[in-house]
Amino acid sequence: MTNLLQLLIDALLMGGLYALMSVGLSLGFGVVRIINFAHGEFVMLGAYGAYWALTLLHVDPLLALPFLIVLGYLGGWLLFRGVVAWVLKAPALNQILLTFGIALVLQHIAVVLWTGDVRSAMPEYALSTTIIGDVFVVHGRLIAFLVAGTLIAALTTWLRYSETGRAVRAVAQNHDAAILMGINPGRIYALAFAMSTALGIASGAIVSFLINITPFMGFSILLKAVAIVILGGLGSIAGTVISAFILAIAETMVAYYVPEGAGWTEGVAFAVIVGILLVRPRGIIGSALAT
Amino acid sequence: MTPLLSLSNIRAGYGASLVLHDLSIEVGEGEVVCLLGANGAGKTTTTCVIAGLVRPWSGEIRFAGESIAEVPGHRRVSLGIALSPEGRQVFPEMTVHENLLLGSYAPHARRDRTRAMDQVLALFPRLEERLRQKAGLMSGGEQQMLAIGRAIMSRPRLLMLDEPSLGLAPRIVMDVYAAVAETARAGISILLVEQNTEAALAVADRGYVLANGTIAASGSAAELRGSALVRSAFLGIQAESAP
Amino acid sequence: MNPPSAAAILLAVAAAIAALVIPFLGMPLLTDIDFRICALAMIAISWNMMAGAGLVSLGHSAFWGLGSYAAILSANDLGAPFVVSLVPAVVAGGLLGAGLARMTGRLRGIYFAISTLATSEGLRVLATMLPDLTGGGNGLYLDSTLFPGNAAISLAIPCGAIVAALIAWAISRSRYAFALRAMRNNEAASQMLGVAPIRFRVGIMAVAGAIASLAGAINAWHGGYLDPGVAFDLKTTIDAQIAPILGGVYTLPGPIIGAIATIAFEEFTRALFGGMVGISLLVFGLVLVAVVLVLPQGLVGLLRKTRRR
Repeated sequence: MTNLLQLLIDALLMGGLYALMSVGLSLGFGVVRIINFAHGEFVMLGAYGAYWALTLLHVDPLLALPFLIVLGYLGGWLLFRGVVAWVLKAPALNQILLTFGIALVLQHIAVVLWTGDVRSAMPEYALSTTIIGDVFVVHGRLIAFLVAGTLIAALTTWLRYSETGRAVRAVAQNHDAAILMGINPGRIYALAFAMSTALGIASGAIVSFLINITPFMGFSILLKAVAIVILGGLGSIAGTVISAFILAIAETMVAYYVPEGAGWTEGVAFAVIVGILLVRPRGIIGSALAT
Repeated sequence: MTPLLSLSNIRAGYGASLVLHDLSIEVGEGEVVCLLGANGAGKTTTTCVIAGLVRPWSGEIRFAGESIAEVPGHRRVSLGIALSPEGRQVFPEMTVHENLLLGSYAPHARRDRTRAMDQVLALFPRLEERLRQKAGLMSGGEQQMLAIGRAIMSRPRLLMLDEPSLGLAPRIVMDVYAAVAETARAGISILLVEQNTEAALAVADRGYVLANGTIAASGSAAELRGSALVRSAFLGIQAESAP
Repeated sequence: MNPPSAAAILLAVAAAIAALVIPFLGMPLLTDIDFRICALAMIAISWNMMAGAGLVSLGHSAFWGLGSYAAILSANDLGAPFVVSLVPAVVAGGLLGAGLARMTGRLRGIYFAISTLATSEGLRVLATMLPDLTGGGNGLYLDSTLFPGNAAISLAIPCGAIVAALIAWAISRSRYAFALRAMRNNEAASQMLGVAPIRFRVGIMAVAGAIASLAGAINAWHGGYLDPGVAFDLKTTIDAQIAPILGGVYTLPGPIIGAIATIAFEEFTRALFGGMVGISLLVFGLVLVAVVLVLPQGLVGLLRKTRRR
């Protein structure tokens, strides 16, 4: 019984991080209507950002987080204006290949900068634990969960109540009607893409609390995020958050209860994607940015 | 006096197909002008050209004396052009309140938001009852009121209404048109696009008949009401398209 | 489609002969390049075949890896010699293609692409988690007593590439070409034309899957070693799309020209930045981005444009 509780706590803490990784992807798709295959690479770059902050500047990743978010926003904005904006009206093939190419470029920039070696940016306190009853809580996981929760809450509040957040949802729901409101969709696209990038970078910075960093970590993260976003319904923030927890719980259960489960966990995302696409390609939980 | 809006010799279309050829219309300050025509005559394209959603291939658009052909759609709202589009196009996942707030997104309208909101809710009391409801879940008539209300929220000098009576029950059409007449009394110029000739001519000062992408006839509302052309070109087609 | 010019036919035949003759010239470096171009041309042709029907694959490593395992396992466990072992590879690739086509029946565009991506990742996990069959993460060596010699393998790959090109050519000349183009542009319209998209989809994906699997199988004999990471390498997926994009997507010569250009480019960047890990793939990514942005019709499109001027 306590075992189950421990598993659920672990899954819950992990789910927060998964949610943050996927919310950016979901936002980008919901507004710009492009699945960004480079999203996993943003997470990877965020993790290396935290690594550099810790090793070069001796700055705690949590302190570096706001700067990384701003950098991610600027980088995403430039990437959109400079590259992605040019394929908005192109066929899906071009869009897919373009973001795939961006992923390849970012991945190997990381190889050049940091080599393929495994790195870690875990501050010492991330490894310590607190025992509540019979449940172990690893501080790194708890912090990651809290940061993810704060950022997602900030995002949803902004989308819901701010003037610009409302404009973002308007563009996602009806592009032409948004123009009639005086909203400049080009600006909103750039903003949403930049935000999506910043969220990816932010989740990378806190991923470094939990796992090791390599230039190639982005792909499996992307796959998980895609599974989550599809399960939640492409573009729905609320759906994304819920399905992030579903995936985290499913993975944790598989890892624990299936023999040699740790190896199979990577397959859970695959099973979810194939299952959903076969049964309900529009996703299970939500639709267009219904936060 | 220069008219508030003038289109001269507009040619426009989608892809390779030409929809409007050589279209010229005017709307004066404070006027209610209706644009009549059958399905596919180019009425909606005309409103899209004025709102900046469709770029004309050639021709001139002037608003309040200035050429606006090069002004992008989202900036025309600040000039005072508002469109309640065909098919209403409300934001379905947002509440009525949020839809109306979006109507006053443009900076000049945002400053005057509270007053505009009061006016719109007075004009359409039904919307006040539904403020917290998701727009996508409302009836067609309520969505139409919301679309018009949302357009009025932008403090327009020219309000364009594209087929506001389409698909509505006769009683709701009366409500909507009462609101149109009241808006006109407040001094806002209105370009009313309709297939419902009778309702449109009842509130309009003048009208144009659009056929095959160009103006086939024009005149005062009274003239058009009696016009054989309007009857034949139109009532005939309407009778055909009715189930 | 216009009938090919005499010059184009001549060029194609010359290229085929060159690909077949090079392994016998006794120049190992050239033979290696020949091998890589032909293997790449096969998956590029396969990818382009699917793209031509509106199916963007992000999972060509699934076919490639499955073919590799089918060949090596049938050799190691059943004692199948080289050529015989290619049969189960082709069959497995064809079945995977047909199965994916059936399973993803309604999916288009991005949804289809994602499902192929997930399939290759799923197969990689499966290969890792079935160590009794595949050797798992430790990998698997080909039974060296069965090795048919370098010449046989070096000859097999150009043969495979030529067969793949001929199949692609035959499809483009057949009455199906029109239906496939209709599928790419608009599935609803193709349905109205009386084309049953699902049947064509199954057919085209079975053929494309078989070709990519065959390439993987021959390559596995060439390498002699497999593990899940090698078999289902993302690089294969990337290569399979870069070559046709660079050469000219939706065209017949595109994937082949693209394969030659890609390998040439790879050699060039390796000579230039040899020691620096990652640079060549970095430049690769930049080329992919640049081609999509400024040259969406690829080299073939560029050639046609300059000729028209």
